[in-house]
Amino acid sequence: FGVVTGIDVDIIERLPTPYGLVRYGVAPDHPEVKNVENDFAALFENQNDASSVSYYGNVSVGKDISLSKLQSLYDVVILAYGCQAACKRLGIPGEDSLEGVLRAREFVAWYNGHPEYGHIGSIVQKCLWNTSGDDERELDSSAISPARVVVIGQGNVALDCARILAKGKPGLIDTDTPSQVLDILKGGVSHVSVVGRRGHIQGAFTIKELRELTKLKDEGNNATFIVRREELERGMTDSSKEELKGAAGRPKTRIDKLLQDSSKLYHSSDEDSKKQVELRFLMSPVSLVPKDSNSDRVGNVICERTKLEGEAFNQKAVGTGETESFPADLVLVSIGYKGMPLEGMEESQMFDQSKGVVVNEHGKVFGADNLFVTGWIKRGPTGIIGTNIMDSKDTANSIMSFLDLKNNNAQPQSSSSEDESESLFGRNGLEEFLKSNNVEFVNWEQYLRIESSEKEPSRLRSGDHPREKFLSVEDMLIAAKG
Amino acid sequence: MTSLLSRPASLAASIAMRPLHQAKSSKIKVSARPSMVFKRPELGNLGLRSFSSKETVTITYIDASGDEHPVQAEVGKHLLDVAHDNNIELEGACGGELACSTCHLVFDQDVYDTLPPKSDEEEDMLDLAFELTETSRLGCQIRVTKKFDGIKIRIPDDGY
Repeated sequence: FGVVTGIDVDIIERLPTPYGLVRYGVAPDHPEVKNVENDFAALFENQNDASSVSYYGNVSVGKDISLSKLQSLYDVVILAYGCQAACKRLGIPGEDSLEGVLRAREFVAWYNGHPEYGHIGSIVQKCLWNTSGDDERELDSSAISPARVVVIGQGNVALDCARILAKGKPGLIDTDTPSQVLDILKGGVSHVSVVGRRGHIQGAFTIKELRELTKLKDEGNNATFIVRREELERGMTDSSKEELKGAAGRPKTRIDKLLQDSSKLYHSSDEDSKKQVELRFLMSPVSLVPKDSNSDRVGNVICERTKLEGEAFNQKAVGTGETESFPADLVLVSIGYKGMPLEGMEESQMFDQSKGVVVNEHGKVFGADNLFVTGWIKRGPTGIIGTNIMDSKDTANSIMSFLDLKNNNAQPQSSSSEDESESLFGRNGLEEFLKSNNVEFVNWEQYLRIESSEKEPSRLRSGDHPREKFLSVEDMLIAAKG
Repeated sequence: MTSLLSRPASLAASIAMRPLHQAKSSKIKVSARPSMVFKRPELGNLGLRSFSSKETVTITYIDASGDEHPVQAEVGKHLLDVAHDNNIELEGACGGELACSTCHLVFDQDVYDTLPPKSDEEEDMLDLAFELTETSRLGCQIRVTKKFDGIKIRIPDDGY
């Protein structure tokens, strides 16, 4: 008794397509980051009798099947649904009431073609081109929008937004950015300010994304990168210098050097650039105010100059009373994703509302029998793809310990109950449940049809265009079943 | 394509057949990365490698548990590919395109000093590596040379 001879894993995903942020978060000009898809695809290719993986797309846990039902069907249920659905709020005036204020995660989901964010397109269209889209003056697809965009926050998502807006269609033409998105972005925007309330040493961005901004001009995007020496100096407090020390300070030291070098490079020939991307530090947004011409739309971001106070690694940005007004036709709030409880989990002790994570220890969920958690919904929305590799090993080990314990404690089953319960358990039980409830799930083979349909030459802009994503669930399902 | 598929299939089976009590005492291991087989057409010749005339040297990978794995490494191949050729557990999440730090390797100082210089892009990714050392490099950027014969390379812990 009690020996696990194989593991069957069923992956359940709300959308017809898998991969989560790899498909809808990673910027389209970072295709190399999406290579992890190959590892997952290989899991489905290499099946055998003892262990297998199955995919169930277009199944919403909470809506199509409850979490408790899943827990009754499986030995183990793992929650890995991340933090895409919500984000942190600034809590400043104008944030919710003014048009032209978007959450960065909505903007990112839109430019990646997420089926639930198509409506963001008309908002961006209006902000960039001051039209509703109906009165189509035929603007050239390389026209540069005079719009000024303010991105609040300085993580990699904020830098991605700035870079995508600076590149526009010419810079993104050979990526998998949907054509509808490129038609709205056209030649990009003239000015993007990426604003952070702390200093450059504390910024959450990593150097790769920063370096890409410094190279925009050299790579033919007609966009100059600007950072102010004065702000770098203000941010270099004694505590910041502490933060640069030692091996742990290496990444920040290199970021500091790159920024220092960039601040020296700006000169008058850069006036020729039609577009500018600037990083502004020690600037805390305090309110969003409307345009004079239209009180429904955002017109300016009022920021307060801050200074850093406190010990190394614990410095706080304190207001100085000095303010600066940033003209803004579009504001993207990029201060962090936030985890949400699954339907049915809200009342339980399982979810920590303040942290936005499922309460767990090494991935095992408290107060639930066979429930585990991994990824951002376990740790919070920080870290890169690689961070999740370590995280998942932690959870996997907790699962194996749990299964071990369960097997060691298991009573030998009587043969009569075995046959009956097997048919209603696991994969068989799931499929029976879904079919009897008319849930149109998408299996792996069908997902592959979606994938190959997106790569159909007739859909593509050019030979270099990787794929033209389907922008609606309906179109995905048609391709899946076709 | 079928010759590429036949090798990963048998490896997946060997993981599955291992009874739980063995898995308990070791960290979760994922043997060979089947995806690398698809992305590296040259590995299609795996079965015929012993008959090829490609030059090899002996290098030893030391895994995170301290176990040594001497392998025949084809001269000119990247160390990440060599690891995968030989079923050495070395993650390469981005497929060797400088978009991650999971093929992090640690060299002896004397070997490290002979390696070609790091690009900014490699340095940028190394910034994110767990427990970076003074002699760390990314395996996808280092090609095997004849002078590597007899060297030992450490695969550092990935933090778990």
